[in-house]
Amino acid sequence: MSKPKIGIFGMTGCAGEQIVILNCEDELMDILKVLDIRSFHTAMSKNDEKCNLDIAFVEGALVQPEEEISLKEIRKRSRLLIALGTCAVWGGVAAMKNEVSRQRLKDIVYGSPGRIFKSIPAQPLHSFVKVDFSISGCPIEKEQFLQAVASLVHGDIPVLPKYAVCTECKINENTCLLLEKSELCLGPITVAGCNARCANCGIPCSGCRGPVEEANIASEVEILKEKGFTLGDINNQLRTFAGPAEAIQTHLAKR
Amino acid sequence: MYNGNCASHTDNIYQPHLARIVRRLPQIKDHRLFQLRFEDSEIRQNFSYRPGQFVELSIIGTGEAPISISSSPTRPGVIELCVRRIGRMTEALFRLPLNSLVGVRGPYGNGFPLEQMRGNNLLIVAGGLGMAPLRSLLWYALDNRSLFKEVILMFGAKVAEEMLFKYELLTLLDRTDMRCLLTVDKDEEGTWPAQVGVVTKLFDLFEVDPKITYAAVCGPPIMYKFVSKKLLEKKFSKDRILMSLERKMKCGVGKCGHCMIGYKYTCIDGPIFTYWDAINLPEMI
Amino acid sequence: MQIVKLPKQNLDKFIKSLSKFGQIYAPIKKDANTSLFSKIEDSSQIDLGYNRTLLPPKKYFLPPIDTMFKFSAEAGYEEMEHDLNEKSILLGVHSCDIHGLRILDLVFSGRYVDNYYFTGRKNTSIIGVSCIPDDMCFCRSMGTDFVENGFDLFLSDIDQSYLVRIATSLGDDMVRASQSLFKEVGKEEIEEHKKKSNEMQKHFKIDLELYNLPEILDLEYESKTWEEIGEKCLSCGSCSMVCPTCYCYDVFDELSLDGKTGERKRRWDSCLFKDYALVAGGTNFRSERSARVKNRYFHKHRGFVAQYGKPSCVGCGRCIQSCPAKINIVEVITKIRSDAYV
Repeated sequence: MSKPKIGIFGMTGCAGEQIVILNCEDELMDILKVLDIRSFHTAMSKNDEKCNLDIAFVEGALVQPEEEISLKEIRKRSRLLIALGTCAVWGGVAAMKNEVSRQRLKDIVYGSPGRIFKSIPAQPLHSFVKVDFSISGCPIEKEQFLQAVASLVHGDIPVLPKYAVCTECKINENTCLLLEKSELCLGPITVAGCNARCANCGIPCSGCRGPVEEANIASEVEILKEKGFTLGDINNQLRTFAGPAEAIQTHLAKR
Repeated sequence: MYNGNCASHTDNIYQPHLARIVRRLPQIKDHRLFQLRFEDSEIRQNFSYRPGQFVELSIIGTGEAPISISSSPTRPGVIELCVRRIGRMTEALFRLPLNSLVGVRGPYGNGFPLEQMRGNNLLIVAGGLGMAPLRSLLWYALDNRSLFKEVILMFGAKVAEEMLFKYELLTLLDRTDMRCLLTVDKDEEGTWPAQVGVVTKLFDLFEVDPKITYAAVCGPPIMYKFVSKKLLEKKFSKDRILMSLERKMKCGVGKCGHCMIGYKYTCIDGPIFTYWDAINLPEMI
Repeated sequence: MQIVKLPKQNLDKFIKSLSKFGQIYAPIKKDANTSLFSKIEDSSQIDLGYNRTLLPPKKYFLPPIDTMFKFSAEAGYEEMEHDLNEKSILLGVHSCDIHGLRILDLVFSGRYVDNYYFTGRKNTSIIGVSCIPDDMCFCRSMGTDFVENGFDLFLSDIDQSYLVRIATSLGDDMVRASQSLFKEVGKEEIEEHKKKSNEMQKHFKIDLELYNLPEILDLEYESKTWEEIGEKCLSCGSCSMVCPTCYCYDVFDELSLDGKTGERKRRWDSCLFKDYALVAGGTNFRSERSARVKNRYFHKHRGFVAQYGKPSCVGCGRCIQSCPAKINIVEVITKIRSDAYV
């Protein structure tokens, strides 16, 4: 069986997922044994821009009109397209202020130089192209990436846990930061896979991996309000990483 | 220390046994019949099952899923699994080349209550992939023809191209020791040699004494409702309507919880349930 | 049953003497809010006065993630070697948790015996300890506030000493190995123990009325209450993880990068998860959250009763403590009960 031809691409983001891949130091040689990397601008000087790909891994959100064109080209070239990281899956931090006009944001952030480039409200990949599989995380978890690669090499769509961070946090027997310490923790509505990385260190879940399927935002908000948080605080936390997510949009639209 | 009376078992109930895919017979679109042969001759000889039972099939590296057995125990040596390409596991199975190794453990589930059914008429009502487990029962009955009084098969498909086991079942049309009623909803070319019309119409084509008949039903969820309605109209007792149900039978041995219906495990108490079970337990049909 | 007395000043010596019977696991305080069972290297870490551990002892017999087989394309699935002779002692187990283990025993035995579970179970001795209920305990309602078997030794606190019940030959060996630490039990200690047992009753703040519950659950199958709870539930899985009788698990093949070898594992699952009853092709037999919540209560208080003659709940209070949405099993059952009588 020939090695799957793959490309690793970045839209707007911090390149964190590409760094995670490069940080798989012990596994990099094994990855090269099973994948034929044709395009990886962050790490390689010779990139094939035209060839057909079996798998395209794409990180980052879409923030500029040109990115839509390049994303659609990648989609055309590739049999599978995999969204890598919370920006690609949910819009990420770039989307946290989508309710403010781009013009105004550009003025605030860049001042007059902001006039020379175009910007659109940050969106995840699935708003523009079909995404075959998503690996969320800010950044992604190395183990989940390697697991996904193994499954893809085997020919299967990967399977990652769909349950909430609470499940992992309980398994790790962490003191509940939400209930026992009354902290603003999004663990109950955030998808697991990080092994409750933050809560293990006593830091509440900020929701960086995006919401679980069927996230019960209304109930989470009620709990947090009862703990004394204002709706403003809660909403800010909710839109920090996954503002465009439907469940969060539905909640924000209610006010 | 555990001081119950649970006997020590050396066998691992979760151990898949290697089996080789010896034939892959294409059926209708996205359906294939896989013939598997256990590698270990002892397992091959000792693997006995009854119609209606299922196995847990492992695609090495992909995972494990329950698949009903389509072959009849009267034809030992290989087991046959009729599979629809529908998810991650079955995609992987369809990719496997001939002679690949897979893992098989089982058989699991109650299967059809053959001891009770013996000496009665047998009415098999199948829809779609529901024919897969019922094919086992059908050939069991035909190979042990003296065990049953009348044998009637009712099977429907939208069009001829979508009828599972079509060629095999068409050979039964001429048999005098059973009634094979095969219907297609539409026959635009007028070439279908059997009935045309919806499957419920077939009920008008025969008379059986419901007191000495067992009905075995399997098909898509929607089918159970209208078929059971018809059977009840025909005065079948609720205990004589047997249904094979699908759930997520992850472990097959009543431990993992996924196939729970009400308070029964599909994998141990089923997958064959009576119509009475079905209406008595919440969420069954 | 034989009963002896262990003065508290001898407890530490006794615990140290136990190490020759196996590795000790016992409750420790993780922080001010949390106790947990942990491998004990130093007996001074042990805190027998805990109220409840975050996870129940099931974690030792049905680990959150357990490797079942290693596999390869050529050799298929090969069982992972488990050390059958490694003896352990689980010290400081409350009565409710001992009942919890006995419920798991029922599930993992029967016609199909789960060796992964029983290997550890058969090699672990259990030393129970009495406790004082808090405002989330309702073991009294479940009949699990006392325990007659399922342990080797049971320590009941009578202030200056523990009254030690010896239930097995192994427990007797443990006592005999440090005979000098134990005293005979006198009449006054028996009286003290009875008095303590009665006093324990006063601490209960909540009760779950079991009478006729399976029938009431049947009657209230369509109750609006399930939808109300479904609205609150986050499907976060906390209640299932911390439950001493929840045993559902998921199985998956974890591949190595070569795409050919790997391990088959199982991990805790919860019937509250969206994809719990999802089958290939997309049919989900319990897609509504309210249906999943209802299923959880039905299984514990209706289904398990039908199957094994008793509910699979031991009143430990862990689900009450850990639910972010404050869904409280005692309140739910009380509500359902009042629905039934309206």
